[in-house]
Amino acid sequence: MTATLAASTEDAPPAPEVKRRGRGRSGQRTRTFYLFVGPWIAGFVLLTLFPLGYAFWMSLTNTDGLSPNWSYVGFENYVRVFQDTQTIESLGRTGIFMLATVPTGVAAGLAMAVLLNRDFRGRTLFRALFYLPAVVPGVAAALTFKIIFDKNAGAANAAVGAVGGEPISWLADPYTRFVLILMILWGVGGSMIISLAALQDVPRELLEAAKVDGASPAYSFFKITLPILSPIIFFQVVTGVIGSLQVFVPSLLLAPVNGPAAVTAVPEGNYFFMVHVYAEYFAKSHFGYASALLWVLFAFVLLITGIVFKLGNRSVFYGGVDPTEKEGS
Amino acid sequence: MVDAVARRARWMAFYILLAALAITFSGPLGWLILTALKAPNELSVFPIQLFPESPQWHNFADALTFVDFLGYARNSMILSTLTAVLTTISSAWMAYGFARLSAPGKKFWFGLLISTMMMPSIVTLIPTYLMFAKMGLVDTYVPWILWGLSGAAFMIFLFRQFFSGIPKELEEAAVLDGCGHVRIFWQIFLPQSWPMLAACMVLTFTGAWGDFIAPSLLLSDDTTTLAVALTRGYVNEQGFPVQNLLAAGSTMFILPVLLIFLFFQRFFVQGFSTSGLK
Repeated sequence: MTATLAASTEDAPPAPEVKRRGRGRSGQRTRTFYLFVGPWIAGFVLLTLFPLGYAFWMSLTNTDGLSPNWSYVGFENYVRVFQDTQTIESLGRTGIFMLATVPTGVAAGLAMAVLLNRDFRGRTLFRALFYLPAVVPGVAAALTFKIIFDKNAGAANAAVGAVGGEPISWLADPYTRFVLILMILWGVGGSMIISLAALQDVPRELLEAAKVDGASPAYSFFKITLPILSPIIFFQVVTGVIGSLQVFVPSLLLAPVNGPAAVTAVPEGNYFFMVHVYAEYFAKSHFGYASALLWVLFAFVLLITGIVFKLGNRSVFYGGVDPTEKEGS
Repeated sequence: MVDAVARRARWMAFYILLAALAITFSGPLGWLILTALKAPNELSVFPIQLFPESPQWHNFADALTFVDFLGYARNSMILSTLTAVLTTISSAWMAYGFARLSAPGKKFWFGLLISTMMMPSIVTLIPTYLMFAKMGLVDTYVPWILWGLSGAAFMIFLFRQFFSGIPKELEEAAVLDGCGHVRIFWQIFLPQSWPMLAACMVLTFTGAWGDFIAPSLLLSDDTTTLAVALTRGYVNEQGFPVQNLLAAGSTMFILPVLLIFLFFQRFFVQGFSTSGLK
């Protein structure tokens, strides 16, 4: 938006670059660039940078968001983060959730993609069936799983009853964490579709040549397909790790109580780090402390992204092209 | 002979595996629909029955009136369309800058754009909500307009990849004809990129349609979307969920999203493979 203003207040006519002297022309070019990119920059400042700064400022205070009586407490909130057992435990739970969903999700998605990556009757149908759950909105997926795992009328207890068992409270501890993991893995078709698209880039001649040379399918898969797919697998792992660090909406939605009180009713098994943050904000009004938690998460995500990229650069094959050099202005 | 038998057995195993997977993945939605067709008394019998005695189709009509379904659907529609149109146009607009224009600082902004794709969006959402609350923008659709106008980093990136594939000759000719970049964008680039435009519209529309957390923070019970209303509305006087109507409502909530994706499916798979995600 600021760029629009700048462009209109200067004397430069909106007409294209007619003959002007070097500096004026590049000034015009710069203005045009910022005319186009400006809205994103403005949005970044207003909707990302400012909120982050606001949260950081809050994290140095003991504000509850409402009362005018607050004071600076320095880094006290950050010290508290590491003394709060709820924080440590919720972080541990988040880590386990990550380990339970990310590797399995990526591997299962890849396996399904390999399964579908051949010509057979009904390929489109099966691809659609596997993919559909991934497009079901999270809210609807959670409601569906709540209905399936309902104690009185759910399919899960119908199965339990069929083998003579007593109804189980699936949505309470200790089972609810498994329901949540199943629900997340139900959407593995999203990962499948990305891997399936990437499989199209594996050159057929390469696989055929390997076959002629007597390579087994497994050998070809691990020595040819997998290395070519490594950037896309890497991409999925990174987004998966970052996504699972932030998991909390499914926990709220699977909680036995709905509405604003849901956060206070989340069973311990699904009480992840972000659930804790959310509870500190909206159930306890500890805005200062919650903001510190948020910043710790932010720093943690940055750190993990950094580490993963460092590791990834060594084990990922980019077909001889350095992806960071792709950008040609 | 032996070979042929082995091959047939392999294909059989292959289809059995596919069928098992298909049942696993469509099972939950199947159960949702079965539940939607059950009578209230069938929801509390033990042992639990799989199929309704006779399908209660009127549950779908009841679900429309138990909560103001159509009213909330309208809110969702307005919000999602607003988000989709604004995000798509603005992302394309900004991507044009990154793809075709140069200026000091471009590398920096592009690097920043890429790193915001990795940004934990949830981290900024709560402080953003608090900020909007202080600005008095809670319970309005203004936040979505602002989000839409500033584009989505991932979409900007995809559009940029797409634009980079458009031959330069086209716009060079246009520049010679005295065409400015704004016109080049509207008259050459946008018409050429309809597959990306459609993909972006569909993705952002369905994303906004299904979004739960932003409307639940920012909107009130009247202005909120269907996604939020579903989780709160279908309860009886005792506060227990009315399962069959909830299931019917959820089915109708999912339906538009599924239809959109079935309709665009082929093109989606292609879209991803050509748009530089690799």
